[in-house]
Amino acid sequence: MEMIHIIFLIFLGGAVLTYFAGKISKVLQDIFFLASVLVPTYLFFANVAIADKVTLSLGGINLAWGVNHFSWLFSLIVLGLGSLAAIYAIGYMKGKERKGYFYFNFILSIMAMMGILLSLDLVSFFIFWEIMTWSSYLMTIYNGNDTQRIGIKYFVFSAIGAYAMLMAIVIVHHVAGSFMIGDMINFYPNMGLSMQIWIPILFLMAFGVKAAMMPLHVWAPDAYSNSPMAYTAVFSGALSKMGIYGMVIVLVTMINQIPQGFWFREVIAWLGGITAVLGTLWAIKQDDAKKLLAYSSVAQLGYIITGIAIGTELGMLAGLFLAVMHSLFKGTLFMVTGAIEKQTGTTNFTEVTGLIRKMPWTFVAALFSIIALAGIPPLGGFVGKWMLYESLITSNHYLLVIVIFFSSTAAFLYCYKFLFGFFLGQEEKEWAHVKEAPVVMLIPMLIMAVLMLVLGTFPGLILKPINSGLIDLGYIDTFKHLWNTSIILNAWGDSVVLQPILYYIISIFVFFALFITWKGHKSTRYVTTKDISSSGEVPADDENLTFSVGFMQPFLRAVAPAMRRQIDKYYTGFADGLESLFEFMRRIYTGNGQTYAVYAIVFVVIVLLFKSVLF
Amino acid sequence: MVGTPVLFIAIPLMAAFLIPLLGMIWKELVRIVPGLVLTYLLILAINLLNHVLVHGPIVEVIAGWVPPIGINLVFNAFSGFLVTLMIFLGLLVWVYSYRFKRNVDYEPALKYFLMLMMLITGSVGIVLTGDIFNMFVFIEITSISAYGLTAFYKGRNSAEASFKYVMMGSIASTFLLLAIMIIYAQLGTLNMADIASKIHLMDPKLKIVSYIFFVVALGIEAEIFPLNGWAPDAYAEAPGPVGAAFAGIVVKAAVYAIIRYTYTIFDLSGSFSFLILIGMITLIIAETAAIRQEKLKRMLAYSSIGQMGLVLVAFGFGTKEGVFAALFLMLNHAIIKSLLFFSGSYLTYNSTEKKISEVNGMSKYLPITSLLFALGAFAIVGLPPFAGFWSKLAVLTAAADSNMILIMVLVLMVSVVELVYYLRVVNRVYFFKKEAAVKPQKPTFNGLIVMLVLGAIILLIGFYPDAVTGMLHKATNSLMDKGQYIQNVLSLK
Repeated sequence: MEMIHIIFLIFLGGAVLTYFAGKISKVLQDIFFLASVLVPTYLFFANVAIADKVTLSLGGINLAWGVNHFSWLFSLIVLGLGSLAAIYAIGYMKGKERKGYFYFNFILSIMAMMGILLSLDLVSFFIFWEIMTWSSYLMTIYNGNDTQRIGIKYFVFSAIGAYAMLMAIVIVHHVAGSFMIGDMINFYPNMGLSMQIWIPILFLMAFGVKAAMMPLHVWAPDAYSNSPMAYTAVFSGALSKMGIYGMVIVLVTMINQIPQGFWFREVIAWLGGITAVLGTLWAIKQDDAKKLLAYSSVAQLGYIITGIAIGTELGMLAGLFLAVMHSLFKGTLFMVTGAIEKQTGTTNFTEVTGLIRKMPWTFVAALFSIIALAGIPPLGGFVGKWMLYESLITSNHYLLVIVIFFSSTAAFLYCYKFLFGFFLGQEEKEWAHVKEAPVVMLIPMLIMAVLMLVLGTFPGLILKPINSGLIDLGYIDTFKHLWNTSIILNAWGDSVVLQPILYYIISIFVFFALFITWKGHKSTRYVTTKDISSSGEVPADDENLTFSVGFMQPFLRAVAPAMRRQIDKYYTGFADGLESLFEFMRRIYTGNGQTYAVYAIVFVVIVLLFKSVLF
Repeated sequence: MVGTPVLFIAIPLMAAFLIPLLGMIWKELVRIVPGLVLTYLLILAINLLNHVLVHGPIVEVIAGWVPPIGINLVFNAFSGFLVTLMIFLGLLVWVYSYRFKRNVDYEPALKYFLMLMMLITGSVGIVLTGDIFNMFVFIEITSISAYGLTAFYKGRNSAEASFKYVMMGSIASTFLLLAIMIIYAQLGTLNMADIASKIHLMDPKLKIVSYIFFVVALGIEAEIFPLNGWAPDAYAEAPGPVGAAFAGIVVKAAVYAIIRYTYTIFDLSGSFSFLILIGMITLIIAETAAIRQEKLKRMLAYSSIGQMGLVLVAFGFGTKEGVFAALFLMLNHAIIKSLLFFSGSYLTYNSTEKKISEVNGMSKYLPITSLLFALGAFAIVGLPPFAGFWSKLAVLTAAADSNMILIMVLVLMVSVVELVYYLRVVNRVYFFKKEAAVKPQKPTFNGLIVMLVLGAIILLIGFYPDAVTGMLHKATNSLMDKGQYIQNVLSLK
């Protein structure tokens, strides 16, 4: 038996065993859970080489699974983030209900994502795609909040996307005579023009839903914010990347091959840009950290989509680098939110404040990921953003640069809100009891924080696999031409050397720390954070001084026109309309036997009347 | 060989008549005998099917009269597959309904099992017979026992539902008899193979009229819109296992008959697109009507109707892929819908209204039943890695190969609707607060076994479709090869 088979069997068997182990002992269940995520991860990186391939025949259809550089890159995201989130989940899920259910779906999600990445044929791609959909669906309804709306909205969008893809798959099978992805790509140039256009559109519908691309994103904020945070880290960090993975393949192997592809790429890039702006604006408006991060995920995915839609080497590098960074920082941020939720019981900014002294390590993780998210050096987000801007400018998308720049500047507002709302500000008595999150939850967050810092200075570590992946897809080698281990090069011959930036920033920090300690050493007076006065008034103890109440009102008033028309409302209206139509359909069945007899006779008469047309 | 096809009709029919007598000896025999009979028939069916798959079809002549004069039974890969499936489901229905209601005493049990045996006899007969008038008789046997089973609970509603069924059933019989009369008047024969070989001699207009009458008559049993008004009521009012028997046995037999007429007997070029047309209308109307239902069993009934529409659509492609897909769908539908009826019955066991809202929060009290219901729901909407996915893929592949893009779009859109109403119920079972009024009822041991078996089959086909695809391919070939069928029957001396 091949290693790839073994990996999938461990996932599958592990999921079932973990589910039932909960009936015996909680600890055993945790161990099984960790093992069934970590063991396959280890086996994959230790024993599966690039270009390994296994085949399987099922129901008369040949299936093939294998690894290339491009799927290896995404496997790194899935398994890396998956393992860290699994460790985190042990802490997060402690004492919660339905642990078996959570673990089962968690493992299946990871398995499905790996399946998608390793699939070399469209049928197993679709099978794993659907397993991913339903296992993540079961997670979105885990909390039981408004399942009929949130869960079903997610599933309906996913299903529409997946069915569009299924249509494309069977049509491709009809014309190309094979389910292999490679055969589809080879056959693509021989298809008729209308098919050359429709096949990618159908695929992009599926990928666009998972990548939360406008106008298919409406499920994302609710689904992300209602899943358990330990899973949302994977949901937003890795699962959404499956959409990106598919999009890259469709863009590169299909759309780039036809002259009309230019317009495709422009439209997708703009959709990405608009997604980024709208996601950011909505994120600013949120008072709940989960919702804020959910909208922020939508926005960040918009950048990634824009990057890969531009399609130049630099654009691809930027998009994929941002994809990796996004998994890191958004994974961390959801974990931070989860930790705060676990320790305080709420994730509302207007309630929780001043946690910095109670949860210092969580704060460090949050700080690092916020800096990365905002794209400020010396963390990795900066490199991605820099490359994205550059790729947009060098490909003459000046208007799009403005859009992206607006969105990422506006993103500072919600970054600030997140950091300040939770950790800084006045300490309320209500939260005096809060303790630091358990170590098992802290470790994954801190590992990712460190990774972000490392990648900010040595982006080459991750650009190398990205580059190999792109070479697999047919791009030229960009090593030393666009990037080096810790240098980013650009089209104008300049280079950004990253190491000094880190050293400068560290020196400045150290200098200021020393300066403040030395200067303030004598005159320090210890007070509570409530010991303040404003305009000559001293606030009472019970006054809510939380910074986030009514945050950014003027800004939101300014952008209100852009946010008034919610796409979500149109969808809801459409769904309501359909339901009334269905109600009408239901009334065809009157429940009256005489009517039914009349139906039968009318049917006979109609068929007899039209018999010359029908037969 | 261990037996002949005629045993499939003789034994259950005899058992049905003997049950009351045996009941006089020992009351429990009423419950036990049907099980023994069905077990024997299942073994026989599997043996014969294996034999047929290797050695070719068995044609049995009744009473020594050689076709085309006498009645003959045809057990080939196609009919054999359906017979095996029906008897297997019949056996499961028996195991499940063995003391389904604990307080049921002797007399209802006697009626129930008697009528169930008749139902199975009739349905199996429809599939096996090679004579159109004989088929009419079997359809009547099936219908009459189905009327009785619908009215089993003797309430006002079940009587009403049964009466509607009787009404529609009489219309069906009338048209069927008319169609048979036209054929007999024109060709002077009632043997299917003989008719098939002479059909080109028929007046084209009368040929079309008789085909239409056949489709209307059988369409009433096969739940084609707009002939299916009786179905939701009958499913909703009949006992849960009977719903499974209707969906898995009766409707399958009726669909078989339509297919036999379309593929083997008649040679109308428009009949395939006609099947697609009526199948599509049935699918769309039934699935959209299902989403607004308030009662669980009614919802399942509409879903069942919709699936049958899809089966007809797949048969309507007229290609090998299409027939394969349709057979796969029939198999999956029989298994999955039975599981849904079985588990759904326990989810609403103690409620009088059987409303969907009454399943709220049942997962806490009936974990296994709920899990199996969810499995069934996931499987029937075609989510991988469960059984339904492969048949859905087969249908779509067949549609793509026939260049029916519009059909694909419609089928997939309807699938989304289907997804929504099934998930709504599953969400209710798992994530809603239980309504205090409804008392959960633990399934009986045998009921649980049946459900687990069905669940295991769903997983087996889902993970290893090769377990059934080989047989389905052979059944497909057997149906598509019309000349062979005629020759097999008429060459008998």
